[in-house]
Amino acid sequence: MVDLSTIKADEVLDCKGLSCPMPMLKTKKALQKLSSGQILEVLGTDPGSKNDIPKMCEKEGYEFLGMIDEPGYTRFFIRKK
Amino acid sequence: MSLKDSLKELYQSIFKAHYSPIAGGILLALFVILLEMWYRPWGIVGGLRNWGEWILYGIGFLEEAPPHPLWFSSSVLNIGLILGAFISATMAQEFGLRIPPKLEIIKGIVAGILMGIGSALAQGCNIGGFYMAIANLSASGIAMMVGLIAGVFIGVKYLLWEIERFASTGGVEISTKKINPILGIVGLIVLFAGVSCYFGSEREEGALLGGALLITAGIGFVMHRSRFCIVNSFREPFLSGEASMARGVAISILIATLGIMFIKLAGIREPMTYVTPTFVWGALIGGVIFGAAMVVAGGCGSGSLWRVAEGQVKLMIVVVFFALTNAILRYYLDNVWEVWDKGWLGTAVYLPDLLGYAGAFILLAVIILLWYIIVDWNEKTEKFVIGL
Repeated sequence: MVDLSTIKADEVLDCKGLSCPMPMLKTKKALQKLSSGQILEVLGTDPGSKNDIPKMCEKEGYEFLGMIDEPGYTRFFIRKK
Repeated sequence: MSLKDSLKELYQSIFKAHYSPIAGGILLALFVILLEMWYRPWGIVGGLRNWGEWILYGIGFLEEAPPHPLWFSSSVLNIGLILGAFISATMAQEFGLRIPPKLEIIKGIVAGILMGIGSALAQGCNIGGFYMAIANLSASGIAMMVGLIAGVFIGVKYLLWEIERFASTGGVEISTKKINPILGIVGLIVLFAGVSCYFGSEREEGALLGGALLITAGIGFVMHRSRFCIVNSFREPFLSGEASMARGVAISILIATLGIMFIKLAGIREPMTYVTPTFVWGALIGGVIFGAAMVVAGGCGSGSLWRVAEGQVKLMIVVVFFALTNAILRYYLDNVWEVWDKGWLGTAVYLPDLLGYAGAFILLAVIILLWYIIVDWNEKTEKFVIGL
């Protein structure tokens, strides 16, 4: 298991305030730009993302590392395989 | 396990967990059938138009006052949906005021206006014009479905174009997480006070409206818990291939159609209920415009309302412009140009008149199942995916 609280992301994507499907599209695009092994951190506020991001990672073959709820937003961590 | 733990688990699975699209679709169809049996078909746009007309009346565009929103059934249906979704969002601690970046606000205004136009031409949004039109055995429902698919394709093309060019950031959420359960209890109190006021009222339609308020609160609750989204069901087959929502919508429409066919066969509702003079042009053109716009908005008629109830500011903007544009355009279509009597946008076609009830149901079921089979196959092969 990865310790999410100390993780250092290579790229941070701000999706705060966005609603479906924008967080999903932006996350996919950002992941495409990363090289393999790098970690993307997504900041989001849409409740749907908590289902959609892990599901998308499974479908597209990215490693979903987990999420942390902060006051006012959620941090999602994804590693490109 | 103690009884307390068992109850806690039950609470979690009803109020906190997200329902699957299939579960949401089945529950939605049951509420929709119940509502039509109890009082009237479900709809969204009629209520939005009523709210839009009040704004137009307020600024002097309309001379006569529109019906009171608390005594106008279409409006009560929307109030129920929003209340139910609000209770769902707050009980699950998912409510919060989400303010989007500037580009999203502009998209909300433009998409709202186009949704108002599309739903005026089709005499309904994706609910009254598509889901409920099919369930009420109207040929216009199929025409709008074709239009919606074409429109969604255009909308997806736009989104892919936008995502390559703009990186809009700077949105915020004003979180109310800590007080959410209190807001949820307030929502419940308002709902039950409202229902009991209607039932206690001396007006003839009081009990009917009270029941409708409760049933549509159920609709709002299950839609929000399952994040039931007709935009998603049309969009994702193009965008990612994912088809779970499309399967949920297909099953939901199939059950609703079966149930409402029996309601009409039994003579509980008039056969021509929700069969509008929009076949084929109104439903088709309206569907294309509405379909493209709902993708940009990120919510259809019903989906926009439950997202308003969880605090999405973009969808609040969508709903305001949607309601206003629909009210203005319908004023001209109905009263000034009188297009429905002239038949410019089509005729009302009740499928059982042509095919009998069994034939109508089989035709609609085949079309819906065909859609189910295609999106399911597309999920594995990604034949129609134009995504990133």
